[in-house]
Amino acid sequence: MEYVSPEGLRIDGRRPMEMRKLQAEIGVVAKADGSAVFEMGNTKVIAAVYGPREVQNRSQQLSDQALVRCEYSMANFSTGDRMRKPKGDRRSTEISLVIRQTMEACILTQLMPRSQIDIYVQVLQADGGTRSACINAATLALADAGIPMRDFVTSCSAGYLNSTPLLDLNYVEDSAGGPDVTVGILPKLDKVTLLQMDAKLPLDIFENVMQLAVEGCKAIADYIREVLSENTKQLEYRRGL
Amino acid sequence: MGETVVEESEELATPGDVLGRAAEVKPGRGAYLASHNNLVYASLTGRVRTVAPPPGSPDKRPTVEVIGHKAHGAVPEPGSVVIARVTKVLSRMASADILCVGPKSVREKFTGIIRQQDVRATEIDKVDMHSSFLPGDIVRAIVLSLGDARAYYLSTAKNELGVVSAESTAGATMVPVSWTEMQCPLTGQNEKRKGRFAVGEARVKVMAK
Repeated sequence: MEYVSPEGLRIDGRRPMEMRKLQAEIGVVAKADGSAVFEMGNTKVIAAVYGPREVQNRSQQLSDQALVRCEYSMANFSTGDRMRKPKGDRRSTEISLVIRQTMEACILTQLMPRSQIDIYVQVLQADGGTRSACINAATLALADAGIPMRDFVTSCSAGYLNSTPLLDLNYVEDSAGGPDVTVGILPKLDKVTLLQMDAKLPLDIFENVMQLAVEGCKAIADYIREVLSENTKQLEYRRGL
Repeated sequence: MGETVVEESEELATPGDVLGRAAEVKPGRGAYLASHNNLVYASLTGRVRTVAPPPGSPDKRPTVEVIGHKAHGAVPEPGSVVIARVTKVLSRMASADILCVGPKSVREKFTGIIRQQDVRATEIDKVDMHSSFLPGDIVRAIVLSLGDARAYYLSTAKNELGVVSAESTAGATMVPVSWTEMQCPLTGQNEKRKGRFAVGEARVKVMAK
């Protein structure tokens, strides 16, 4: 099947280096300490952060840093067919672990010993790139909760189909069987915290694809920064400052 | 006696923004120092505030802070005055749920214990817990220490600490009439509590000086 037309357009009309439309909203869950909805094209994800709060399971308490817990789940209605087991299956457990490790690398956990930070992410609409959207939503929710972080973590995926590196794969392109590289970076500090790939790629092509994904991450970071600044200004305006 | 000069800039910082070099500024709340390149970065989202160093300190660097907009709930610290509601009264201690720390209410529940020896300052071994507190009373106490894994240690052993508000058996809010008793306005009956009655006296004493 042709994923990139001879004119250089993808199935959904994007150019190979074009990312899908980003949209984010902060403070959507009133009860949570921080929350955000993040959309990348048709993929829509909601994240809620609770913490720092008292550790519920005393045996897991860490005396010198905060305990970060993360739970990823997909809503039953998020994919085309209604899902039977949205939580607890292997893929969800793996993604929960991946998100937890990624966020733990950027939170300044040693400032909050003996406490717990819970990150809940749920996919409302899945159209490829759910892992990345979850990480971006979690970053926004953590920033909204006022939890001190080293830097944002932004994530983007890239692939290689029809001999062309493609940025931000959607579900159809993802299911094509080509390589799918997911990168998570700390944009200002220029460090990589997450790098995953399925399928195989020769090393020189991999470098191009990873570089493309890193650029996508930096663009997402600019957008996230803008959203947070706007949100802060709105809050100040409402408080009358 | 130095006044700290505080400068609030128009800058909005987000996590990862560079606030200065470690040689020029000190990281305060909302900022951190990255040891690998000696730069001070922001860790919260908010306005940047620079606080001048206190005069006479050897470190001449100003402290840079980021003021976030989310207020975290109050947490009891040793020495802070708390308002708590008594939940359980036993022969040697009373258990209370801490409701407020200073003027702020808490977001999640903290438990405190008032031991027999911490109820009052005099004759501490002759204290009868059931004559000092009853479940449901609101007390003002001071936090002695972080206590054990289950509860903070509280003390009411001062004039201005003790039962602030209590309900009589008739259901009305009682008024303190002495150190050890409170009176119900409906029935006129006195009930024993470790009260805060002496606050007015203490104020008068201070003014007389």
